[in-house]
Amino acid sequence: MFKLNLKIAWRNLWKNKGYTLINILGLSIGMASCILIFIFIRYQMSFDKDFKDSDRIYRVVSSWDYSDGNQFFSQGVPLPLTPAMRNDFSPYIEKIAAIEQSTGVIQINDAAGKERLKTQEDAFYIEPDFFGIFDYKWLSGDYAALKDPGNIVLSKEMADKFFGSWKNALGKSVNYDMASYIVIGVIDDVAENNSVPLKIMLSYKSFKSKNLDRWGSVGSSSESYIKLKPNVNIEALNTPLQAFLKKYYTEKAPGKEGHLFQPLNDIHYNSKFGNFSGRIMPKKQIYGLAVIGFFLIITASINFINLATAQAVSRSKEVGIRKVMGSQRGQLVAQFLTETLTIVLVSLLLGSVLTEIALPGMQNLFGSKISFSIFEHPIILAFLLFLAVFVSLLAGFYPAIVISGFNPVLAIKNKVSANTGGLGLRKVLVVFQFAITVTLIIGTLVILQQMKYVREQPLGFNPTAIAMVDLPNDSLTMQRFDTFKSQLKQVPGVEEVSLCRTPPSSQNNNGSSFSYNSSKDADFQVNTKNADEDYLKTFDLKLVAGRNIVKSDTINEYLVNETLLKKLNVNNPQEAIGKILSMGGMKAPIVGVIQDFKNRSLHESIDPILVGSSRARYFNAAIKLNSAQMLTTMKNVQKIWQRTFPESVYSELFLNEQIKNYYQGEQVMGTLFKVFAGVIIFISFIGLFGLISFVATQRTKEVAIRKVLGASTIELVKMLNGSFIVMVFIANLVAWPLAYLFVSKWLNGFAYRIDLSIWPFMLAMLISMTITLITVSFRSYRAAAANTIDALKYE
Amino acid sequence: MIQLTNIEKYYANKGVKNYVLRLVTTTINQGEFVSIMGPSGAGKSTLLNIIGMLEEPTYGTYHFMGEDVTSLSERKRIELYRNHIGFVFQAYHLIDEMTVYENIEAPLLYKKVGSAERASRIADLLDRFNIVAKKDLFPNQLSGGQQQLVGIARALAAQPSIILADEPTGNLQSAQAEEIMSLFKKLNEEEGITIIQVTHSEKNAQYGNRILHIADGVVKEDVAVLS
Repeated sequence: MFKLNLKIAWRNLWKNKGYTLINILGLSIGMASCILIFIFIRYQMSFDKDFKDSDRIYRVVSSWDYSDGNQFFSQGVPLPLTPAMRNDFSPYIEKIAAIEQSTGVIQINDAAGKERLKTQEDAFYIEPDFFGIFDYKWLSGDYAALKDPGNIVLSKEMADKFFGSWKNALGKSVNYDMASYIVIGVIDDVAENNSVPLKIMLSYKSFKSKNLDRWGSVGSSSESYIKLKPNVNIEALNTPLQAFLKKYYTEKAPGKEGHLFQPLNDIHYNSKFGNFSGRIMPKKQIYGLAVIGFFLIITASINFINLATAQAVSRSKEVGIRKVMGSQRGQLVAQFLTETLTIVLVSLLLGSVLTEIALPGMQNLFGSKISFSIFEHPIILAFLLFLAVFVSLLAGFYPAIVISGFNPVLAIKNKVSANTGGLGLRKVLVVFQFAITVTLIIGTLVILQQMKYVREQPLGFNPTAIAMVDLPNDSLTMQRFDTFKSQLKQVPGVEEVSLCRTPPSSQNNNGSSFSYNSSKDADFQVNTKNADEDYLKTFDLKLVAGRNIVKSDTINEYLVNETLLKKLNVNNPQEAIGKILSMGGMKAPIVGVIQDFKNRSLHESIDPILVGSSRARYFNAAIKLNSAQMLTTMKNVQKIWQRTFPESVYSELFLNEQIKNYYQGEQVMGTLFKVFAGVIIFISFIGLFGLISFVATQRTKEVAIRKVLGASTIELVKMLNGSFIVMVFIANLVAWPLAYLFVSKWLNGFAYRIDLSIWPFMLAMLISMTITLITVSFRSYRAAAANTIDALKYE
Repeated sequence: MIQLTNIEKYYANKGVKNYVLRLVTTTINQGEFVSIMGPSGAGKSTLLNIIGMLEEPTYGTYHFMGEDVTSLSERKRIELYRNHIGFVFQAYHLIDEMTVYENIEAPLLYKKVGSAERASRIADLLDRFNIVAKKDLFPNQLSGGQQQLVGIARALAAQPSIILADEPTGNLQSAQAEEIMSLFKKLNEEEGITIIQVTHSEKNAQYGNRILHIADGVVKEDVAVLS
């Protein structure tokens, strides 16, 4: 029976090639999008999952509550926290381990002591207990020896890179930042879906810092992980935590310190805190994508339902005859579902091919290795099967019920009215479909508009053609700064050079308490930027009052920005000149006020900023280039750099690129929206085309009658188009409030944003109506211009 | 009023010409009631379609009211439909989604007749054909004869000078058929409307005043009916 059904299904689909094509096209594209979204979500949800007892692993993170209601979070903890917690929380936690991220120069010497390899790598100083918390796979050695200083553990990839094969690595020596380490173990490569990308692990005891006992200093590079004892609830730690905070945070600071225990499976999704891999995917975005995927498949299914019920009439005779021959309704439903399933399976196959084609683009967009291998991840196969069944039922069940429900007598006489199968329902579905489409169009328009706005927003400084070159900063290299700078200035093509801590706009910010013109600390922190006297010239920053700082190696004059004065209620910038500002024990007068510039991404507002010279804090050389000869200039810069700092590894970055990276998330979102809006528009409009084709065929006779009654082609086209235009118009009205809610919420995430005007909404209406008109007219014109007699001749 | 000269019509099928009409030449004057008769496949309907400009002849010329309409632009043809020609079909061809009233109104809308004028004309037609009570019914709620009455009322609404009817009683019982034919006769005699009908029935043909006998696409006989 099933085989026969399949055969009939195939013939029927072949007979109605046009509708079948529309269905398959819509469904396969919808399914491909769905599959892509699914494998992306699967990848994102797989982060940090592969560890034993992962539900007992937490990261200790920090928070500060300020008196003005602001809250600040950090993924890092003060360095003394780990040993203190190990001691104070021992009843609750099995293990605690500190991990410190660092970047340094790896140097491998061959047997003769000659340098064989020198590269800059990220490394982690790590306590051996870390491996007691996370069960990594050890290829050789173990972590016990990591308790002694001077040892190193490598990942397979690194060990292969350094020593040819990881099997030779054990016992070899590696230089990291001029210190020597012995390889005591090799672990298997850590998969990409991990928030701690371990490659090079050094004994924590080898980590030197002046902050080891300072509770007041928190850096995002110092993390700490705990593993609870079995059967301990994380809530049980709250009371001891309060005592812990009181015990250790004795210094007065503007923000009230606190700590939180962040579950391991939250690390990849929580954008309040960062992580070492730098990859965060907020759950909200994952859900957003899932919703879009769901809507895509609904839209495609609606096409199917509409076309199937519309075609139902032409199937009525077959249904009648089958019923007379003794077919039960259930058997008919089964037959029609088989037909649907055939289409769905063909679409699924095609959709998988499309997925494979789109995958590289997707990987590129997200910068991750998303896999579409059903062998590696059987859940993908399960999803494909689920998708097939879900779509078959969603799209096939209703039409099957309608068609199989025909009265046999009427059906045989072909007297089933053309409106069978719910003309009303079809209209509702089309409105629903287009409401989704229009919402996506509006969303896309607003996102693109906001991105353009962000791009064109004046930053208050000029980031073009500025290269940021790393500056190794220790007591030795510091001595060479002056020569380095003057050498750079001689290079043709270099226009300005400024040594500084960070460029005007940076993700790297640090706040400090300060006092202005009094001994009392201000109730907010100031963002300190250390830079030399050429900072303003290099970045084209403007002074609104006073003068630039003069050349100095240590802080003896300050520049402030307008926001700082505004926050201090100083209205006239001139007033601030000469006032004494004290920060971290360093008192100096304010000599100039800088016009405000955007020092963060446009999600955030401008910080109060302080600029002062301090050679000990210069980590970058900002080089303003003549844009005509950047390439050759940078080559010369690199040569000079390597001559000056032979022990380090050169790295450069262009400020423009860095700023662009702030909006990577939005760019990805914008691209996604463009693509999915395109897909959904395509699906909706081929569905519309199918429906108008059907309506036109169905009304051929009416069109012919009207023609002999004297209707002109234009009048007929108008008549056929009318209901579609009205439906799309209603869909617009439905979509507007939805889209408004959605985009205004999204825009709220930007401190600098466009005013939401009516234009994206009007434009979306115009676009949807125009495309509808074109799609529909294309078909209805053909119907209206068709030869009258063909429709009237035969009875 | 209608002047056909050497009208030929054939369908080419794989190079073979299937002639439907051959060298048809005839003149139909204002006020005539002509019946076209002949066996199935003789070309009666095709001839009527050509007269109604629903089909174009392959050769020959056709003058309608003194104007050469052999191949006419769509705009002009629609103009003729709106003002001069009314069609009545064997299968009535009413629009299923519209009521009796709306069906009759349709040609007036296309003719852009004002609403007061429309209402009075429709009222007049409904009254004349005794279908006032049925005006809000849909076609499938009427008997065949009633549907054909509506079809004729619709054809008359635009006040055409000629009515083309393709087997108007073909689907009807004899009593209803008689009613329709006497209606045609009355329209022809009292209002001077030219009527051309295709029919199988000798009896129906007797209502008219002229019969064109067609066989194999050729006019065999052109006789006047003596009343």
